[in-house]
Amino acid sequence: MDANTMIDSLSTQFPNAMYDTKVESKIRIIAKVKPEIITDVCKYLKENLSFGHLCCEFGVDYPGRNEIEVVYVIGSYDHSVVLTLKAILPRDNPEIESVVPVFWNANWYERETYELFGVKYLNHPDLKPLVLPEDMLGEWPLRKDYRGFPNKTAKNLV
Amino acid sequence: MDEKVGPSEMIVHLGPQHPMMPGPFRLNAKLRGETVVDSEVEMGWIHKGIEKILENKTYLQGITIVDRICYLAALTNEEAYVGCVEKLAGIEVPPRAQYIRVIMEEFSRIQSHLLGIGEYASFVGFVSMFMYTIRDREDVMTLMDSVTGARVTHSFLRFGGVKDDLPEGFKDNVKRVFANLRKAVDSYEELFSSDEIYRSRTVGIGVLTAEVAKDIGVSGPPLRATGVAFDIRRDEPYLVYPDLDFKVCVQKAGDVYARVQVRLDEMRESMYIIEQCLDQIPDGPLFPEGTAYGRRTPVMRVPAGEVFHRVEDPRGEMGFYMISDGSDKPYRVKIRGPVYPTLQGLPPLLKGVRVADIVAIAGSMDTCTSEVDR
Repeated sequence: MDANTMIDSLSTQFPNAMYDTKVESKIRIIAKVKPEIITDVCKYLKENLSFGHLCCEFGVDYPGRNEIEVVYVIGSYDHSVVLTLKAILPRDNPEIESVVPVFWNANWYERETYELFGVKYLNHPDLKPLVLPEDMLGEWPLRKDYRGFPNKTAKNLV
Repeated sequence: MDEKVGPSEMIVHLGPQHPMMPGPFRLNAKLRGETVVDSEVEMGWIHKGIEKILENKTYLQGITIVDRICYLAALTNEEAYVGCVEKLAGIEVPPRAQYIRVIMEEFSRIQSHLLGIGEYASFVGFVSMFMYTIRDREDVMTLMDSVTGARVTHSFLRFGGVKDDLPEGFKDNVKRVFANLRKAVDSYEELFSSDEIYRSRTVGIGVLTAEVAKDIGVSGPPLRATGVAFDIRRDEPYLVYPDLDFKVCVQKAGDVYARVQVRLDEMRESMYIIEQCLDQIPDGPLFPEGTAYGRRTPVMRVPAGEVFHRVEDPRGEMGFYMISDGSDKPYRVKIRGPVYPTLQGLPPLLKGVRVADIVAIAGSMDTCTSEVDR
């Protein structure tokens, strides 16, 4: 199965939900996806196209466009095509369905994206901070407009 | 994990100072008698914010930062990062530089596995084993030092090439070290396979099936120990790996013993790769000719775009997702480390095992907390 057949299969299954699909090379595809159906797309990918390996999931902040992209990089143990799926969310209230029911290992990636970007994952089993202390919640440090944690930086603590 | 504790249960905190895991790693295990009922991994003790740092450094400065994600795999981290930039900027690496990179990255794998095996052996009570592997690792480190000028954080790769050529007499030194190392690896294997206590602590313990491993997203030696021949060097080749002859080391059992065995086999395979490289390496420039790239490229703008590049780290799949907006700093870098999913998979793997086996199982994954907490 090569990249083009996979795209055809995806766009037949989800005619209006995928857009801006690009084949970068024989083994790399980038596509944008409507956030509402992300779990359905992931399920289809895993069950029908053997994309069973979620490489990573993360956020990208675009303050200029007032958007946050949630990016899913999905690979496979059976073929070497890697698919990048992007869901675009509004920056003031980013919310998206969790893909933990499909990809078990999305759990930590989503917790991390939540505390660093403030993306709320609906129906996530345990959405609590992973790498930051709890009082940093709401600071969203990886957003572009983050300017430090003024009252609690090392300088002010000493 | 449910914090409520029943009348015959208790919670034991392993780490961050417990000798089980070096570095800041904490595992809370709920025990009923000797059996683990549930467990939970706590992260975030040394969050370094490397992704944010990379956004604020130029591309060249980034090389020294990615070294520090996990210093046992400094060279493969560099390969993933530099490979991303090269893909974005369309830089071709000349063959000689590619061979040098492969040689150094395979050395990196050998020294990481040596430390991993030694550390693991000391977790299950073979403390003297650690001394042996550290002694043999020292020879490998000296060889690496003679090329890169550093022992741990190398900062050796450059966009389009490598910092330095191999020194004179390098091939002979490698031959000498490998003659000893081969004997050493054989003796480790003999010790592991003949020792009754070691076998009873590892065979059939912490079994990971191929299905569960895939579900967790494990890669590298723990995955290959379950029988899945997934190796990025072969499945998605980079550098000159397609020109080299090597096999993907696979074991069937998926238990602790198999994971250590895969690492022993991989060290032999890496030595074989390095010897081929030293025989085949062509003469030629270290950087593409007629371009501005060289040892120092202080300010370099990378065309806008995004790319995902992954390499085979000593521990598994190391990938970088890089987004460039055309300036001299990356807009966003996401690091996909191999240990992140492995560590996440510990709680289901530890369910129902004896408390003494926690250390054997967690240690055999060769996890690097520093990389998870990047």
